[in-house]
Amino acid sequence: MSGLLILFLLIPLVGIGALLFVRRGRVMFMLSLGAVLLDALCLLVGVSGLPTCLPMQTAGGWLYLDHLSAWHLLVMLFVFIAGSLFAPVYFRADLANGRLSLAAARRYNQLWLGSLWTMTLTLLANNIGLMWVGMEATTLVTAFLVSIYPKPAAIEAMWKYLIICSVGIAFAFIGILLMAASLPATGEGSQQLFWTQLSIAGGYNLLLLKAAFLFSLVGFGTKAGLAPMHTWLPDAHSQAPGPVSAMFSGFMLNAALYCIMRHGAIVNHALGSDQFTSRLYIIFGLVSIVVSASFIIYQHDIKRLLAYHSVEHLGIITLGLGLGPVGCFAALLHTLNHSLCKSLSFFAAGRLGQLYGSYTMGRIRGALHSAPLWGIALVGSLLALIGVAPFSIFISEFLLVKAAIDRQAMVALVIFLLGSGVVFVAALEHLIPMAWGAGADLPGKRCSLPAVAVVIGLLGLLLFFGLYLPVPIQDFLTRAAALTGGLP
Amino acid sequence: MLTLMSLLLFLLVLTNLTLLGSSRLAFCIRTVALQGVVLGLIPLVGLQPLTLQHGLLSLAAIVLKGGVFPWLLLRSLRVARVKREMEPFIGFNVSLSIGFFALISSVVFASKLPIGGNRDSLIIALALFTMITGLLLLISRRKALSMVLGYLVLENGIYGLGTVVADHIPMVVEFGVLLDVWVAVFGMGIAIYQINREFDHTDVDRLTELRG
Repeated sequence: MSGLLILFLLIPLVGIGALLFVRRGRVMFMLSLGAVLLDALCLLVGVSGLPTCLPMQTAGGWLYLDHLSAWHLLVMLFVFIAGSLFAPVYFRADLANGRLSLAAARRYNQLWLGSLWTMTLTLLANNIGLMWVGMEATTLVTAFLVSIYPKPAAIEAMWKYLIICSVGIAFAFIGILLMAASLPATGEGSQQLFWTQLSIAGGYNLLLLKAAFLFSLVGFGTKAGLAPMHTWLPDAHSQAPGPVSAMFSGFMLNAALYCIMRHGAIVNHALGSDQFTSRLYIIFGLVSIVVSASFIIYQHDIKRLLAYHSVEHLGIITLGLGLGPVGCFAALLHTLNHSLCKSLSFFAAGRLGQLYGSYTMGRIRGALHSAPLWGIALVGSLLALIGVAPFSIFISEFLLVKAAIDRQAMVALVIFLLGSGVVFVAALEHLIPMAWGAGADLPGKRCSLPAVAVVIGLLGLLLFFGLYLPVPIQDFLTRAAALTGGLP
Repeated sequence: MLTLMSLLLFLLVLTNLTLLGSSRLAFCIRTVALQGVVLGLIPLVGLQPLTLQHGLLSLAAIVLKGGVFPWLLLRSLRVARVKREMEPFIGFNVSLSIGFFALISSVVFASKLPIGGNRDSLIIALALFTMITGLLLLISRRKALSMVLGYLVLENGIYGLGTVVADHIPMVVEFGVLLDVWVAVFGMGIAIYQINREFDHTDVDRLTELRG
């Protein structure tokens, strides 16, 4: 059973190799979809044996899967399946008229599977150093996805992304070194920096450990797009092609946050309470919510608007992490909801931008009339994004409010509600003319099957989880939330 | 042995101060390379009983930082046709003064840290100073290449810090980190090439298409 973990890492690599031998653009996209689906199949096989076989580990304990990482793996595969289905739709015209050369298409697909590989490594790594290596590798691999079309703006975005995130992640490594230094010199199992050992070890130097967490939080927080370290995010998200923006927002940010959760669990365990980490989570979460809310009001570019929504939602998830077990539960549920929703909204924004020839919101008018499928996708996903019932984000935000009231974190609650309120109004103001304004007649109203499948699938999932959360998933999330808390 | 160690640590300080005070980019690239080699030698000369793995790691670090990186960076320097860092945001003299101040504060700060013994404390201080130098280069310079150098110096500092707690860091991770840094420098080199092609300059403060 534990050989499964190695398979997760092997499949994308085989896909990357196989892409070298493919000479047709459409086949390349089918191949990467195939690889992602195979990965998903592995997870399904793994999950069907649950909960008996979790946690599992292999390769001398270097690879490790528990409820927390399995949950993130699930979210990741949702995002990658949707992205792989959508990519041929998005690139079809450019592939046909040669704007995307065959070499570029191959590079795109190899980098796509490469990012899948690095994120899988981040999730499966038991060693927190290896986790860091995987996370830094995601930056390096995905940077070139931003500039797959080498326009000046895209290259500028790629440069900022590469520099800011590399430097940010370097800080996280300082955190890891400090955590290593905080370990007792001779302790059982302290030699390897395995999370499984760190999260039960004792005798830490608490001062160093706290400093270590601060560095990790700022470092990985840069990659997760937490304000005020988020400055690379709107640029990279807005310049990347549609499926890549969706993957960035839908999962890469969460992968970085996942690393923070792991570190937080160690610190909580060592301190014996979650007070220290909670306070930091709440501060960073609230700052992200407030900063993004004030930027959302003034956006003109639809993809930048969505990028600031990512900052807001990552802030909400971080806030949830600071609100005890119920908050962690809400945060993890919100991770899934946000990823599904943001994938859909970036797909819609990408396609509408292509159809209207501009990502400026002033130029996109009457999308429901001009391009019904993507208009519906945009309206549905944006409404879900701002927390309208019965979509699932409403549920996770509601749970978050409940957690805040339980913990009597009234100031945090008020700021959160105010921020969400501002975002709600501002986003609607942007959305209404885009969806219902007087639209032009655009060519290409016909939609291909994969496009329809992606839109209906994602909207369906958002509605489903909004109306009903199956008991096995609730149990699963409760366990994952306990791991995030790190307390017995 | 102690004297060799002192020489290495002295060189480390010197490279940092040189970087803060000089404008010629080719010279800076070579200085960073020297710094990388010095840091690669520190674990060989000084610390714990040497294992084969540590030796290999040091060797890899020296080859990469002393040979491959400067070669890559000098290439992109030629492509971008820049020679000097003109008018940095923070002048060279001011940078140097900040550098001296940072050096003193690092030594004082490291002596208060609850890690290791006396000699460790000195290495930690200088690693800290190297990191601060890297960050200073990153925020004070205009050319894209200087930022790559700043990143490398920051990484050098972290590597130095890593030698103190090396017992806890498995080899696989150390090599993974080196690999990541290598790919990062490689990617940044390509990025400089692309910036130069699309913008006809590599001044990062003039990359202002994306705002808000």
